[in-house]
Amino acid sequence: MSEQNQAVHDRLAREYSAGFVTEIESETLPPGLDEDVVRAISAKKDEPSWMTDWRLDAFRRWRTMPEPNWAHVSFDPIDFEAISYFSAPRNKPKSLDEVDPELLRTYDKLGIPLHEREALAGVEKPQIAVDAVFDSVSIATTFKERLRDAGVIFCSIAEAMRDHPELVRKYLGTVVPVSDNFYAALNSAVFSDGSFVYVPKHTRCPMELSTYFRINAENTGQFERTLIVADEGSYVSYLEGCTAPMRDETQLHAAVVELVALEDAEIKYSTVQNWYPGDEQGRGGIYNFVTKRGACVGARSKISWTQVETGSAITWKYPSVVLRGDDSIGEFYSVALTHNAQQADTGTKMLHIGRNTKSTIVSKGISAGRSQNAYRGRVRMNPGATGARNHTRCDSLLIGDACGAHTFPYIESRNPSAVVEHEATTSKVSDDQLFLCAQRGIDPEKAVSMIVNGFCREVFRELPMEFAVEAGKLLEVSLEGAVG
Amino acid sequence: MLQIENLHVRTDGRDILQGVSLTVERGEVHAVMGPNGSGKSTLANVIAGRPGYEVTEGAVRFDGIDLLALEPEERAHHGVFLAFQYPVEIPGVSNMEFLKAALDSRNAAAGEEELSAIDFMRRARGAADRLDLNPEFLKRGVNEGFSGGEKKRNEILQMLLLEPTLAVLDETDSGLDIDALRIVAAGVNAYASPDNAVVLVTHYQRLLDHIVPDYVHVLVDGRIARTGDKALALELESNGYGWLADPAS
Amino acid sequence: MTPAETFAERTHAQRVDYAPWLDREASRRALAEHGLPEPRCEAWRYSNPNRWYQAEPRPSPSAGASPRAVGARLVDFATADDDARTLVRDHLHTAADRAKHPLATVNDIAMRLGLLVHVPVSDTPAEVELGELGGGIERVLVVVDPNASATLVERPATPTHRVVECVLGEGAQLDHVRLQPPAESVEYHLVAARLGAASRYRLAQYSQGASLRRNDLHVRVAGRGGEAEVRCGYRLAAGTHLDTQVGVEHEATDGVSRQTARGVVGDRARAVLNGRIHVAPGAQRSDAALTTKSLLLAATAQLNAKPELTIYADDVRCAHGATVGELDADALFYLRSRGVVEEAARELLIGGFLAEAVADVAGDDARALLGIGR
Repeated sequence: MSEQNQAVHDRLAREYSAGFVTEIESETLPPGLDEDVVRAISAKKDEPSWMTDWRLDAFRRWRTMPEPNWAHVSFDPIDFEAISYFSAPRNKPKSLDEVDPELLRTYDKLGIPLHEREALAGVEKPQIAVDAVFDSVSIATTFKERLRDAGVIFCSIAEAMRDHPELVRKYLGTVVPVSDNFYAALNSAVFSDGSFVYVPKHTRCPMELSTYFRINAENTGQFERTLIVADEGSYVSYLEGCTAPMRDETQLHAAVVELVALEDAEIKYSTVQNWYPGDEQGRGGIYNFVTKRGACVGARSKISWTQVETGSAITWKYPSVVLRGDDSIGEFYSVALTHNAQQADTGTKMLHIGRNTKSTIVSKGISAGRSQNAYRGRVRMNPGATGARNHTRCDSLLIGDACGAHTFPYIESRNPSAVVEHEATTSKVSDDQLFLCAQRGIDPEKAVSMIVNGFCREVFRELPMEFAVEAGKLLEVSLEGAVG
Repeated sequence: MLQIENLHVRTDGRDILQGVSLTVERGEVHAVMGPNGSGKSTLANVIAGRPGYEVTEGAVRFDGIDLLALEPEERAHHGVFLAFQYPVEIPGVSNMEFLKAALDSRNAAAGEEELSAIDFMRRARGAADRLDLNPEFLKRGVNEGFSGGEKKRNEILQMLLLEPTLAVLDETDSGLDIDALRIVAAGVNAYASPDNAVVLVTHYQRLLDHIVPDYVHVLVDGRIARTGDKALALELESNGYGWLADPAS
Repeated sequence: MTPAETFAERTHAQRVDYAPWLDREASRRALAEHGLPEPRCEAWRYSNPNRWYQAEPRPSPSAGASPRAVGARLVDFATADDDARTLVRDHLHTAADRAKHPLATVNDIAMRLGLLVHVPVSDTPAEVELGELGGGIERVLVVVDPNASATLVERPATPTHRVVECVLGEGAQLDHVRLQPPAESVEYHLVAARLGAASRYRLAQYSQGASLRRNDLHVRVAGRGGEAEVRCGYRLAAGTHLDTQVGVEHEATDGVSRQTARGVVGDRARAVLNGRIHVAPGAQRSDAALTTKSLLLAATAQLNAKPELTIYADDVRCAHGATVGELDADALFYLRSRGVVEEAARELLIGGFLAEAVADVAGDDARALLGIGR
C-alpha cells in the first residue's frame, strides 16, 4: 500500500450511518410459510377474496419453482421457514398526525421529511410526496390532498386495493406475472405493502413522488409491491430509497415493482438503494432479490430506470422494460458499487417488440475490497421490432486487486433492421490520476471521490438534483477505506 | 527559495540522479537541459513528490522546509507546481470542477476563504482567454480527448490559476506546434515575476527562444555537467550533448 | 434418461481398440463426474446438444489429400514410438481441461484417429496442412517447442468431431488457420491452446454453416507476456446454424489478446457468438480486447451474441464491443447511384465487411471460402 493509499484508508474510516434500530412495539407473525400464513396476511389487510386466491395461486406456484442459480453470486441457502413474513408497528396511524413520534424521529434521522411544511420563505425547494414503508406496512403518505386535487392517486397498495380495486385488479401482475421467477412468486404470495400510483390522462404529476423503505424488525423479510400506472399522455417521476439496521443475520428483501406506461406517457423511476451491506467480513446485510419491470404499453411511451446501488450484501436485480408500443423508449442508468464482501449481479433487460423502439443502457460498476460486481443484461430484438435501436455502455472501475468486475450481456436479434451496439471497458483508479490530483493540492480522499463521481457522471445526470447530490455523498461513504 | 543538495535518486532499480545540486531563487528562470535518460524528468518528479522514486541521498529544501518529508498535496499547498510531461486523463471530471477543487484545497490549507463560484469562473475564463482556449474547454473532462497541444495548454492554465511560487515545467514544449509554443511561452512569461521562479525542463533549445532563462544547467548521466547562461543552450544546439559526457562513464 | 445421459452411457460402454496405450481413464472419470451438457444449459443456450448426441459422429472414408508437413513431424497415435508417446503423455490435456470441455472427453474415449504434430526449432517456420483425416472422431495434438514456429492449416473433413490441442513452449509461434466449408452435418469442434511465456498464437477460423456446427475456441495465456489473436469470419447460408464460443483466459501477467469476429447471417440461418475475456487473479497488466460485428441479411436471420468479461485483477486493459445490424442503406445506395447493380453492390459491401476478419496466412483460401473478392 502506498503512503497515499494508506491516507485514504485512514481518512475514509466511516460507518453505515443508517444502521440504528428503532425501539417500537410491533406485531409480527411467527416465522414460517404455508397457506395459512398467506391467508393470515391477506386477512390482516382485509383483502377481497380474489386477492386471497391470487396470493394462494402464487404460493402454490412458488413451491414448485427452483431458486435461480445462474447469477454470479454465492451464499448459503436461505431457510424460508426461519423468516417471518409480516411485521408491522402495533399502532397503525389513521392520519399523519397520529404517526408514532418514535417513527417520525426515525425518518427525521434518515433525512426523510414526513411532514408537509411549506417551503421556507424565499427558499424555493421542490416538494416531494413521501410514502413511508416501515417493515411490512405503509405508515404515512404525505401530500395526498394536493395530489388528489391533480387527480393523482398516491397511496399504499393496501389502501388502493380497498379504494381503487378496479385499477389494481386491471394492472397487478400484468407486467411481472405471478410465476415470473422464484422471488416474484414469493412476493406475490406474501407481499404486505408498498406504493400505488395512478396518474390520469394528460396529467403531469405536480411533484416528485417517493417511497422510503425501512426494514427494522429482526428476522423478517420485506416483500413490498409497487405498482405505477401512467395513463395516456401523463408524466410522473418517482424516487425510492432504502435502509436497514446493522444486524449480524442476513435479511431477505424480495420486492416487485411494476410500471405501466400507456400511450405517450412517461415514467421516470429512480432508486438510491442503501440497504445495510453487512460488515467488513461479510456478516449480515440484506439479500436484495428484486424484480422490477416496466411495460411501455402505448405508442411513444417512455420508461426510464435510474439506480444507484451501494448497499445490500447481495443484489440480484434487473429493472427491465418491455417495449411493446411503437416508438416507445426504454432507458436504464445504473451505478452499482460493491465493497468489502458485497456481491452484486445487476443489469437490465430491454425487450423490443414494437417498431422503432429505442433503448439506452448505461451501467457503471465499481468494485472495491473483496467484492464481486457483475453487469448482466439482455437486449432482444423481436421479429416485429423493425427499425429498433439499442445502445449499451458498460464500464467497470476496479479499486484494488482482490475484487472482481464482470460483464454478461446477452444480445438476441431477430430483425435485420434493428441495430444493437454494445461497448464495455474496464479501468482502475490509477496512481497517475491520484498523483495529478495530489500535485494540484487535492487530498487523496477528495481525489478518489472526485474520480469515482466523474466515472458515474452520465448516470448521476439522470437523477433529480437532490438525489444526485445524495448519491455522490453515498458513494464517498460507501468507499470507506476502499483504496489501499 | 529551492535548495537541492547532492540529490541521489533511484527508480526501477536504477540510479538516475547521482548528486545533483541546484539553487533557485525568486525571480529567476532556470532551464534544465540534457539528453534523453539524463534524469531531467526524474528531477522534476522528485521535486513534486511522485511515488516510485527513492531518494537515497541528499536533500531538497523549499523556503527552509524539508520538501521530501511532505506529501505531494502538501508540496502543492506550499506553492510547488509541476506541469506534467504526459498530462493524465480523468474521465467525467470536468476541468472546472477539478480546478475548483485544487484552488479550494490550497485556500483551505492556507486558511483562506473559498473562492466564490462567480470569482472562480471569472478567473478561469480569464486564464483560458490568455491561452487562447475556448471557455467550453473548462466544461470538458480533465484532459479527456484533448489533443497533445490542448493538454499542454491545460497544464499552463492550471499554473496561471494556482499561482505557484515554483513552477517546474516538464517538457512542456514537446508536442506543440510553433503557434501553440508561442502561446504557452507568453503564458509563462506573463506569470514569471520577482515573487516566483520557473524551472524549465527541456530537451530542445527552441523553447528558450521564447522564454529566456537566467541560468542553463546541463544534466548528463544524473549530474549537472555544466551551468551557464542562454549562450550555453545555443552551444548545445549546435554541438549536441556528446562533448559534455563524463569521459569516465 | 435424457439423450445426454444415454449418450454418455453409450460412450462409457465403448471399447475402442485404437491406440490402446493411451490413458483413457481420466476422461472416463471426468465424463462420469461432470456428465454431458443438457439442452438450455448456459453453454448451450442457443444450440441444442441433443442434436449432436443423436447424430453421433462416424468414421468417414478418407476423401482428400493426406496430411503433409514440412519441418514438422506427424505421428499417428496408433504407430507412435516411445518418444512420441512421451510427448503425447506430457502434453495431452495441458490446454484442454476435461472438466471444462465435456464433449472432448467423448473424443478421448471414442477416438478413431489421433495425430501428433511436433514442431522442433528450425531456421524456417514449419508448414503443416491437415486435409481430410477421415477418422470421424479425431484428436490432434500440436506441440510447438520453445522458440519454434509453424503454420498450421486445417481443412477438416465432414462430418467430424475434432479436438485440436495446441501447446506452445516459451517463445514459440503458431499461426493456425481453420477452413470450414459448407456442410449438412452436425459437428462439434474444440480448439484448445496453451501459450507459454512470450509465445504468440494466432488462430483464424473461417466458416460456412452446417446443420449444426459448434466451435469452441479456448485460449489460455498461461505464460507471462503471451500474445493471442483469434479471428472468426463466417457466412451462413440459408437454414444453417453456427455456434462459436471463444474464450481467452489470461492466467499470467503482461498477456495480450485480441478477438475479432465478423459474421453474415442469411435467410433462416442462426448464428451464436459468445466471446469471453477472463482475467485471473494476479494476471496484472493484461491487455485484452474483443470486437464482434454481425450483419443480418434477412428477416428470418437470427443472431445471439454474448461478449463477456470476467475480471479478477485491477491493473488491466479490457474492452469489448459488439454490434448487430444490416447492410448500410446509404452505402448501398451510393454504390447503386454509381451504376453498380444491387446484387453486386451487396456483395461488395459484404466482402468489405468480412475482409476485416481475414488474416494474411491462407488469406486467399479464406476469401474463397467466404465467397469474397480481394
